[in-house]
Amino acid sequence: MIAHVAWRLSRRAAVNLWRAPLPSLVSVLTIGLSLFIGATFVLGLFTARRLLTSWGAQPSITLYLDPATTDAQGRALSQQIRGRGDVDVRYVDAPAALQRLRVDLGELGPALDGLTQNPLPASVEIRPRAPLAAPSLRVLAAELEQLPGVRDVEYGREWLDKLEALGRGLRAFGAGALLAVLGAALMVVANTIRLAVYARRDEIEIMKLVGATDGYVRAPFLMEGALQGVLGAGVAVGVVLAAQHWLLPHASQAFAVAAGVGAPHLLPAHAAALLAAGALVGFVGSWIAVARFLKT
Amino acid sequence: MIQLFHVKKTYPGDPPVLDDITLRVDKGEFIWLTGPSGAGKSTLLRLLFCAEKPSSGQILIGGKNIGRISQVGVPYLRRNIGVVFQDFKLLDNRTVLENVGYALEVLGASDADIRERARRRLDQVGLSHKATSLPRRLSGGEQQRVAIARALVNEPTILLADEPTGNLDPSLTDSILQLLFDANARGTTVVVATHDRGLLQRWHRRTVGLERGKLVFDA
Repeated sequence: MIAHVAWRLSRRAAVNLWRAPLPSLVSVLTIGLSLFIGATFVLGLFTARRLLTSWGAQPSITLYLDPATTDAQGRALSQQIRGRGDVDVRYVDAPAALQRLRVDLGELGPALDGLTQNPLPASVEIRPRAPLAAPSLRVLAAELEQLPGVRDVEYGREWLDKLEALGRGLRAFGAGALLAVLGAALMVVANTIRLAVYARRDEIEIMKLVGATDGYVRAPFLMEGALQGVLGAGVAVGVVLAAQHWLLPHASQAFAVAAGVGAPHLLPAHAAALLAAGALVGFVGSWIAVARFLKT
Repeated sequence: MIQLFHVKKTYPGDPPVLDDITLRVDKGEFIWLTGPSGAGKSTLLRLLFCAEKPSSGQILIGGKNIGRISQVGVPYLRRNIGVVFQDFKLLDNRTVLENVGYALEVLGASDADIRERARRRLDQVGLSHKATSLPRRLSGGEQQRVAIARALVNEPTILLADEPTGNLDPSLTDSILQLLFDANARGTTVVVATHDRGLLQRWHRRTVGLERGKLVFDA
């Protein structure tokens, strides 16, 4: 019995869609547009996050050694750090540091000739082999600061803090904006479907009159809503894919600032999530729309 | 079969639509519910098929206090009550056969069962030849026959009719009422609301009179 009732309700949902093509089309396009905006927004967020990660992914730590540290002690320290296995280490003795400064100063380099003694300390430059997130980088820097002979540690703390704050802000804004877009889509869909339900209020009244349960009345509308949602999501996926194919090659040039960060791509998992989101939006929208007609 | 105890129905700011109604309708009985427009006939019927709840008092149908039936239980009660309206309430985008079968669909009957039983009911109301027509192609009398067939198709124990002949040519009235008498003869309890005193004079049955929400006679 359940099978043929389910079949009957599905058939009715399909017939209802077919009998009211214009409202159905409006619902499908509304859902499609909302999900397209949402999907574009999420892809933009993914790209921004990858961009931020890439900027913070190649950090380096510089240990400035105490002037009293001998060259042999400095090299031994470097060797000790290298022994961790997860970092590349380079020891820069004081004369090499001065020479590097001279090169960096260019034409002003000869000004250093007047120095009676080298003011620069020896240093150890450390670069993690795998990209490190900001908290891990902080922990590593704190560990290295404890080593004997280390006077100061430099790892772009301010820059890292700013990147982190930006990332947090982006996540909060993204979550809020995404909720707003989905909420707006839900309301628009609920209202669109409410019009369709309103057009069939007589049918609902008669169904209830002859003893249909709320679930039986609701089921075809929910199926219809979910189907419209899936079709709308299909439209959104199609438009995103088309945009990727035709527009992104040009847009990628604008992303040149993000060297190494690929243009955003809609993966099959994203498409599946979009279809599921469409079905959910259609389903919930229909539920809201039908609820008020079931009260009598 | 139907019992009302001190039933009152009020809406905020208005005088009572029904006031202290106590009534008993036995199984298999046929009663006229009469009174002028606004007497409370339709409201009383709406209370019986749970479209509204009484403000106070108790209503028992088949021994069950319908005031205590949850919202979930209402559809199951309605499956035992057929309702016929003055304006027929047929679905214009469905055929006559589909309209009659609609009451069976919600019960989960198979397509073959629905067709067979709906055809049988249409045959009883003399409209089997119109099975594939749309309601708007039918006359008012024929549409009311379809509505009666739909109300009776799942063999309810109670049939409520609210001014079933109100929209019809007087020449069609008797044939429609005959269908209700036939249902009553098969054991269905029938309550018909009408303001047409001519019907009561032509067809002598128990008559309950309402006026301004009060029960004024029961004869």
